[in-house]
Amino acid sequence: MSAALTQALAAHRHPGALVLEGVTRRFGGLVATNEVTFTVPGGELLAIVGPNGAGKSTLVQLITGFVRPDAGRIRLGPHDLTRLPPERISALGVARSFQTSRVFPGLTVLESVLVGTQVQLIGGGRLPRAFNTLAETASVLFGLPAYAARRRLLEDRAEATLKLFGDRLWPRRDAPAFSLSYANRRRLEIARALVAEPDLLLLDEPTAGMNPTETGELADLIAQLHADRPALTIVMIEHKLQVVRQLASRVIVMNHGSVLVDATPEEALADPRVVTAYLGRAETSHAHG
Amino acid sequence: MIELFLSQLLNGLVIGSVYALIALGFSLVFGVANLINFAQGALLMLGAFFAFTLIQWGLPIVVAGLLSVLATAAVGMLVERLALRPLRNAPAIAPLLSTLAIAVIADAGAELIWSAESQPFPSPLQSFVVFVGGAFLTGVDIATFIVSLAVMGGLMIFLSRSWTGRALRATAQDPEAAAQMGIDVALMRQIAFGLAGALGALAGILVAMYYQSVFPQMGVPFGIKGFAAALLGGLASIPGAVLGGFLLGIFENLASGYVGEGSRDLIAYSLLILVLMVRPQGLLGTGKLEALGGVGGASGAIPTTSIIASLGGATARTRNWVLRPKLWMMLAAIALAAVLPWLGSAYIVQVAAGCAVFAMLALSLTLLSGSAGIISIGHAALFGFGAYLCAILGRNHGWPVEGILAAAAFGTALMAAVATLPAIRLTGHAVALATLAVGQVGYLLFLNWIELTRGPMGIAGISRGTLLGIPMQPLDRQYWLALLLLAVCYVIAHRLLESPIGRSWRAIREDRPAAHAAGVPVRRYLVLAAATSGLIAGLAGAQFAWLQAFVSPDSFVLETSIVLISMVVLGGMGNIAGAVIAGVLLAILPEALRAFDDWRMIVYGLILLALLRFRPQGLGGVR
Repeated sequence: MSAALTQALAAHRHPGALVLEGVTRRFGGLVATNEVTFTVPGGELLAIVGPNGAGKSTLVQLITGFVRPDAGRIRLGPHDLTRLPPERISALGVARSFQTSRVFPGLTVLESVLVGTQVQLIGGGRLPRAFNTLAETASVLFGLPAYAARRRLLEDRAEATLKLFGDRLWPRRDAPAFSLSYANRRRLEIARALVAEPDLLLLDEPTAGMNPTETGELADLIAQLHADRPALTIVMIEHKLQVVRQLASRVIVMNHGSVLVDATPEEALADPRVVTAYLGRAETSHAHG
Repeated sequence: MIELFLSQLLNGLVIGSVYALIALGFSLVFGVANLINFAQGALLMLGAFFAFTLIQWGLPIVVAGLLSVLATAAVGMLVERLALRPLRNAPAIAPLLSTLAIAVIADAGAELIWSAESQPFPSPLQSFVVFVGGAFLTGVDIATFIVSLAVMGGLMIFLSRSWTGRALRATAQDPEAAAQMGIDVALMRQIAFGLAGALGALAGILVAMYYQSVFPQMGVPFGIKGFAAALLGGLASIPGAVLGGFLLGIFENLASGYVGEGSRDLIAYSLLILVLMVRPQGLLGTGKLEALGGVGGASGAIPTTSIIASLGGATARTRNWVLRPKLWMMLAAIALAAVLPWLGSAYIVQVAAGCAVFAMLALSLTLLSGSAGIISIGHAALFGFGAYLCAILGRNHGWPVEGILAAAAFGTALMAAVATLPAIRLTGHAVALATLAVGQVGYLLFLNWIELTRGPMGIAGISRGTLLGIPMQPLDRQYWLALLLLAVCYVIAHRLLESPIGRSWRAIREDRPAAHAAGVPVRRYLVLAAATSGLIAGLAGAQFAWLQAFVSPDSFVLETSIVLISMVVLGGMGNIAGAVIAGVLLAILPEALRAFDDWRMIVYGLILLALLRFRPQGLGGVR
């Protein structure tokens, strides 16, 4: 059964490049992203950096459908994501974490992760539809075997995913999510994203608020993921340049909603334009000159 | 033809200016406290009655009006003290339900003090008439319009020019930043409530003069319409409230002029639902949907859309102990209740059957409002839908009991799914409003669709028929059927809640954006929650119709919905065992209070208020 579901997933997934073409979004007079165009080939680990207000988080919101672009297209492999609602995009294999780390406070840790398996349970998106509303309700009420077997299988996967984080999450599986520490809430969010077996993983400042040990631990985990799942595309927004250097094979620097530099970490972080973007020196002198 | 149009337009402008006043009260409070103040209608009613009493004491109407405005402003501040300030760390839904409880207490209190009957309100300017083209305006119309415009203008100047007004607006924009600038945010909230009280009282006096009468139930319709106006314009937008008021007044009057007077309220509520569906931020509002839901901000709090989670991050407080009996225990308890008929008292069986009906209703509502987080203040309409289906199909069409049960269950499930659609895109307080409007539309249909429902007369002589060949006429059998249905519904609710379906409901309640991001088909699960809730409510309604052998709109009023939501809070939101227990307790209560029947709603209101203050997790704990 487990193999069957994995095979079904493999048969229906088309991990491909994430393509943004001229993606523009304005909030009133503010241009949050301005004709952003780039392609992330399948399996790449891309870091997006830039000063506050550069439009990095808006980019994640755009790709995941929480914000709709005013212009431009967003595609993942064969799928056009531009006008889809968030849950459809998620079902197509795009998982994300939030900048503010959104867990389900009143659910237990295990339940929170299981929420991420719901699409695989009922089908849809990359998988053929398995249980429509009536079929699912009937399966639950009468304890029908097909649904129950799939449910058990996904519970096993949730367990395996929680155990990826060592003893950080699994021993706390029956504790409510709100009782977790800040760092553990971030881990839980990433676990919920991973359990969905995504093709594209978007991490919005995954190490924010973590101390150096925890940051290192999470960076190692992401490196491990990248090695274990070569087809998984990872796009992360990250402020800690050390993490960027350790993980990313490519860096996009954003400023004022536009792509400023698109290069390897070494080149990008050494670029003088990046330094001025962060410190704003050239801009100010320009404005005064 | 043009005369009718002109006269309805002028009437619309006049009554619209009153709606604008009420809407301003809502907008001020919503802006500053992020709370939909359900007591606004009660403030309006109290203002009118204060003035009424003062006039009876012999004061001139202007003096009486001014004193009433001051007194009601004080009552408004008291509402803030009772409903908002002590509940800063309570669940997000608590202040809203508190204002609802205060409204219930005020309405029932007014009936005790001033009698439930409508009383004439003096209207000295009524005989003064001016003709405008083919239409005419009375002195009251002109006075209403001028006073409203003057007050609106004064309020605008106050908000934009005075220090206090600017502090109010600053508090509305960002309470934390305002506090850091040295603004006393708590005081600003109190001032907003005081202003809302004053505006409400003024609107109440104008309404009383306009219709030349005062009565305790006047608060609810005008409160809802003021709210509809505020929402139409954009909730937190002051110019929007004024625009919304005028638009609603004109629209409603044109509708009543061209379609018929009976459609006036129906049109107003339908407009409210339409706005919520199409443009929930209102005409002039810019706030995103989240602004209506009170999504916790940054500042370290765990983000959540849950109406159950507390604002201050003290979520743990509401979740220390949870009653979760095994399924067989609840079934055994229900089975044990089946022996009651052998006590030999028909009275006890009658009361116990009523308890079973209300236990089913509480169970039904706790799935929708507690588990899935769609707070509903219109659940009585679904209950009524089931009851009327039973009455009409059984009495007029001779359907067998089996057919009626199926129709009540699945018909109401379908109705619930459709009726909940307007609320699905909304969050938090706006949901409460949408369901309130839907509930009122249901009630108005029961009342006004006379060919089908016989209107206020109700449908009498509902036969109990035979079920699977067993005659159901004896009360004992009806009682056992009620218990059986309760047991079946409990099993359904239990199985769904303990499955991935229930997990998805709770995930959507806890954090809707995260549920979307995790790929949960939110609409599918909310529709399923509504349908399940409707199925149970429909069965309860059919059972109710058989027990009473009579249905009338009086059983499905707003107060019934409030009693139901009280049961859900008492049981612990989302806690099905708690809901059943609370349903039984609150259904027995009126029997215990039979000698003080006038006090019944006051007692319900006080119970709700005390619960929210001292035990927001209810008896059974939040699940």
